[in-house]
Amino acid sequence: MKTNPVYKREITVSSRSFRLALILVLFNSILALVVLLNMYSVVEQVKMTAEIQYSSFINIYVFVAVVEFVMLMFIMPALTAASVSGERERQTLDLLLTTTMKPWEIIWGKLMASFGTMFLMVMSSFPLLSVSFVYGGVTASDIFILLLCYLAVALLCGSMGICFSSIFKRSTIATVVSYGVLVMIAAGTYAINIFALSIARLNVVNTYASSVSGIADQANSGSFLYLLLLNPVATFYVMINTQAGDNQVLKSLNNWFGPHPQNGIMDHWVVLSIFIQLVLAAIFLFIAVKAISPSNGKRMKNTK
Amino acid sequence: MMLEIKNLWKKFGKFHALNGLDLTIPEGSLYGFVGPNGAGKTTTIKIMTGLLSADCGQVLIRGTDVTRGLNDLKLSIGYVPDFFGVYDNLRVNEYMEFFASCYGLDGLKARNRYMTLLEQVGLEDKVNFYVDSLSRGMKQRLCLARALIHDPLLLVLDEPASGLDPRTRFEFKEILKELKDQGKTIFISSHVLSELSELCTDIGIIDQGKMVLGGSMEEILHRVNATNPLIIAVLGNKERALSILKSQPCVQTIAVKDQDIRVNFIGDEQDEALLLQQLVDAEVLIRGFYREQGSLETLFMQITDHDKEKAVLVHENEPGL
Repeated sequence: MKTNPVYKREITVSSRSFRLALILVLFNSILALVVLLNMYSVVEQVKMTAEIQYSSFINIYVFVAVVEFVMLMFIMPALTAASVSGERERQTLDLLLTTTMKPWEIIWGKLMASFGTMFLMVMSSFPLLSVSFVYGGVTASDIFILLLCYLAVALLCGSMGICFSSIFKRSTIATVVSYGVLVMIAAGTYAINIFALSIARLNVVNTYASSVSGIADQANSGSFLYLLLLNPVATFYVMINTQAGDNQVLKSLNNWFGPHPQNGIMDHWVVLSIFIQLVLAAIFLFIAVKAISPSNGKRMKNTK
Repeated sequence: MMLEIKNLWKKFGKFHALNGLDLTIPEGSLYGFVGPNGAGKTTTIKIMTGLLSADCGQVLIRGTDVTRGLNDLKLSIGYVPDFFGVYDNLRVNEYMEFFASCYGLDGLKARNRYMTLLEQVGLEDKVNFYVDSLSRGMKQRLCLARALIHDPLLLVLDEPASGLDPRTRFEFKEILKELKDQGKTIFISSHVLSELSELCTDIGIIDQGKMVLGGSMEEILHRVNATNPLIIAVLGNKERALSILKSQPCVQTIAVKDQDIRVNFIGDEQDEALLLQQLVDAEVLIRGFYREQGSLETLFMQITDHDKEKAVLVHENEPGL
């Protein structure tokens, strides 16, 4: 199969750069620190109580997975937000567009290159994640779902970065907007739910009957909960809670946003949210392709 | 014809960048494309290279309409913009390999092609150098080699000599001449009119989104010269010469400066010859008899001077242009 030229060039350039080595070192150093501190606390606990709680070793897996997830979420926009706007700043985008490469091939090459970097980061952190395998409790399917979750978040954040990089001419603006939208998706959907929950609680508390029977605890954020399907943090939270906790999606979300009824969406929350985030990523990529297409899909009329 | 543009229109908001532009580039020519700032040169180039879509019109390459098949257009045109457009963190060979693969050329075929081109532009000894270590002139030559990687029929250069020192300009001009001799059709947009008149075989002047003058350089310069005054350098019998000139119906105005007589003469070459014979027969001693030489600059200034718009329109409607 023919390698995408943009992907090949990006990989060649990034493999030479000091930046990639620095990112890898920092990424793994932070993860290593988390693992070592966690192991230290577990060992100290054993020393103090003379009791080995094997379940606490699972925390190493959770800690590493969480830190890795957060870092991926924040590194991907940084890797991609300057990808297309950087070509514009170097004035090489026009040259690429005059070749026979299609705009989608350019975008695909950019995305794959940032994925390559992400893949390198995830793979390089596997020795740290595998510390938890020593004590057991983590299955191969858990790792597979974790990787799927990483893939979804990387795709969503990466395509978002590429999209804004294609729309805005300046890399700085593209980076700021990418992080802004990411925070809006991650914190905004959470804030909406918290707000909806507090309003619901207020309404329930205001009724006499509820105050007598104490059903204020039954208040929930309503349909706003489903907005969290867009939120990769919520997906990850549910996934990791399911893996490390009691396998109940509903319980994970209900802890935060009040009791919600069990239904099909709740039953397949992780898969469904990953699917929605992949669709969202596809929309971002479609916008990016449209933004760099010279003709924007318009065709010339032959006469006037 | 290598390229024909018919009735091209482009509007940006309320501004009409192109107003029914017609342009014809003969095969094997070195076509100079000139016009004042904002005349629509860059818009035309962007449409030609597929970077912009026109609102209306046709772009034909060797008679085939390429407005609906951008791939054909891209394969036929090599584009050298007015900026370098290089990746500084790539080596020269990697840069060429990258653009070769963008056109679907890989492996040995690509290597052979770019090595030939680098040799042609004199960069064969810089193959393993990083692009950012090259001088401006070298970068420009690298850009030219890059634009030729897919062996296009037409090479489009936008202000190729801007920012280059005289020596590099000369070298660049020589490369272009060599490419023309090899059969490439070259289209150059430039402000350096003196260079264009030396280099180009054909020229087109665009103003306010329309082609105001176009044709072969020889034809245009001849036309310019034909409207210039006739200079007659007289050594003796000046009075007789003046009386003969006054009796000529083709003579409009006469001005005398020292030994030179400047005559606004509207006749053709045969009328000029007859006048010369009359002067010689009348024993007027003549040292010089010639049309004042016109230049592309004076023509350009005349055409793009909108205070004299009426005059330009008359000029535009004259037959043969």
